[in-house]
Amino acid sequence: MSGSPQTVSALRSLLAARFPEKLRRPGGEVAAGVGPLDDALGGGLPAGRLTELVSTAPSSGGQTVIAGLLAATQAARQRLALIDAADGFAPDAVAPDLLRHLVWVRCRAPEQALAAADILVRDGNYAVLILDLRGCAERVLRRTPATQWYRLHRAAEGSPGAVLVQTTFPLVPAVPWRLALDASLPLAAAAAERTAVAEGLQVHPERSPVGGVEELTA
Amino acid sequence: MSYAVLMVPDFALHALCRAEAELRGQPVALVAGEGRRARVTAASAEAAGVMPGLAVTLAMSRCPGIILRPREPAAEAEAQRLLVAAAFTLSPRVEATASGTCTVDLRGADLARSEALLRRHAAELALAGLPLRAGVAATPLLASFAARCAQPVRVVDDIPQFLAPLPLEFAEPTEAEAGVLRGWGISTLGGLTALAKGDIGQRLGTGGIALWERAAGETTRLLRHVEPSRSFAAEWSYEPPVESIEPLFFKLRRYAERIALELRAAGLVAERLALTLLLEDESDHRREFRLPEPGADVEGWLRVLHSHLEGVRTEARVTGVRLVARPARPQEKQDGLFDTGLRDPASFWENLARLAAIVGDDRVGTPVPLDTHRPDAFALAKPAEAVPPPVGRVVHPAYGPTLRRFRPGWEVDVACAEGRPVRLAGGRLEGAVRAAAGPWLASGDWWKPEAWAEETWQVELERGGLYLLARRAAGWSVEGMLD
Repeated sequence: MSGSPQTVSALRSLLAARFPEKLRRPGGEVAAGVGPLDDALGGGLPAGRLTELVSTAPSSGGQTVIAGLLAATQAARQRLALIDAADGFAPDAVAPDLLRHLVWVRCRAPEQALAAADILVRDGNYAVLILDLRGCAERVLRRTPATQWYRLHRAAEGSPGAVLVQTTFPLVPAVPWRLALDASLPLAAAAAERTAVAEGLQVHPERSPVGGVEELTA
Repeated sequence: MSYAVLMVPDFALHALCRAEAELRGQPVALVAGEGRRARVTAASAEAAGVMPGLAVTLAMSRCPGIILRPREPAAEAEAQRLLVAAAFTLSPRVEATASGTCTVDLRGADLARSEALLRRHAAELALAGLPLRAGVAATPLLASFAARCAQPVRVVDDIPQFLAPLPLEFAEPTEAEAGVLRGWGISTLGGLTALAKGDIGQRLGTGGIALWERAAGETTRLLRHVEPSRSFAAEWSYEPPVESIEPLFFKLRRYAERIALELRAAGLVAERLALTLLLEDESDHRREFRLPEPGADVEGWLRVLHSHLEGVRTEARVTGVRLVARPARPQEKQDGLFDTGLRDPASFWENLARLAAIVGDDRVGTPVPLDTHRPDAFALAKPAEAVPPPVGRVVHPAYGPTLRRFRPGWEVDVACAEGRPVRLAGGRLEGAVRAAAGPWLASGDWWKPEAWAEETWQVELERGGLYLLARRAAGWSVEGMLD
């Protein structure tokens, strides 16, 4: 099936007008602590929903977003779970104080990561669940049945926390919010404070429930 | 109210059906004797028209498809252990009276609590395949009468009223005594005890007096106490060996139910579970699961075991299984007034255990940096119950994009000019270097065999991307991406 963008956008607007309660964020937002990301999402990661963050370029700031979320959740004394499909998280890259509320799941394969997400998304103890699938082979991730994603969507809807899926290409079907990080950072960024690096990230909304974040937050 | 009797009617049959998944819901009969003398001793509800004492050939003609099986001593022993474990949760004075029957001395116990526990056990054991009947009364004999007519728990308050309608067979008269009493028109215990004990003694002798006393519930006896289990383990075998998870899981549940009940009876919880699969090629698969929240919750255990077994692939079929629960004292604690604790502690710890079953015990937890400058040195600790408050103002803020490691680092050939990297080749990452910052030199543990030293560089590639390069004695590697 195919349809023009105008048609899809019109359909989304129609659905938004007809079923406004479906667009309401059930549990509010969880501030990501990264200005451009929070702005793109209209306040923060929506609780009870999946958000996909696609790092299309290398060094575009995906890991800095994780560091920002660690700081934001620690400030709010909330828990964060990181399901690390490619075992890439570096504890020595963030301050030790930002690790004390983190539950880190070091997976060996994408299948393990998806199984872990299926468990943790139902656990009501986490404000943020990050499913980091970067570093996994694209052909393996493409084999993930769509039903598994729908199952994750449904489970997230009953959860008080936000779910952030990090990928390197658009992967999650029917995801309400998809954002892209598509600009590689220059070496000069290595000499800047991390908060400044985070504020300088280029986050572009690719998909929102009504075709634009502005409409959503108005 | 001093005694309770726990009994399972048709115990041998239920023990067999409980142990074998394929017998559930099928017409099954237990058979004793051989050849033409073989007789049915018990039959399941599904075996319509088949009753104890029936010849096997008749049973087969009345119920085509009936499964005829001899008694299974191992299954009965396991079911008996479950029953005894349930009895020990009521009182430490327990008698294993007979196969499928336990008598408990409840003196000193709270009756309301005991009755509530019995009702809970009746529900739990029914789910575990043992339809429990329990009676509570002043003597062991009365309690056994009560158990025989319980649905599923009967507490006897008014003894004469309880005994009056019971059939005479409850008092176990001899054939001669039964014949005489039938001749007098007496068919209930109430009818017998309505007569004077002395008159019965004159007519039926000392046996008659003993019968009257049994009918009046006056007979009492000392219990032969048994010791509670001290090993919380189970081992069973499969013949033929199994290849799939379903038969494994069916028996795991059965044995876990018993072990959990034994732990609860002893006031303990499981801290760890050790699972061993014995394989056909005489090797084995062993795994020990640390339960972050020690407990005796069977469902929680099974979720952990299931998560692990789903991903297990063995070289040979499974011929046996051993499950051992490492006991511990239950934890007791009071939360602090300002703690931001867990919303659902049970789910939190249980889910951690399930994750550990999937990815491994050593790959889930909260990272804690080690006291060293060695790169990537950390340990995974058990997550804290409460999220600690943030420290005050940060003295040394972090700089630059956050490192995302490649574990292990990617080997790469680095071409240098004037001592600086200018091109990467020969590995998973190739290309010209646009800019490089470094070197940073670090070393440590020089007094140990695992001494380390490295030179690191941050490089930006022409095609985009910031990477951390390390040069060690073995050569160059890409340690990760600055992201």
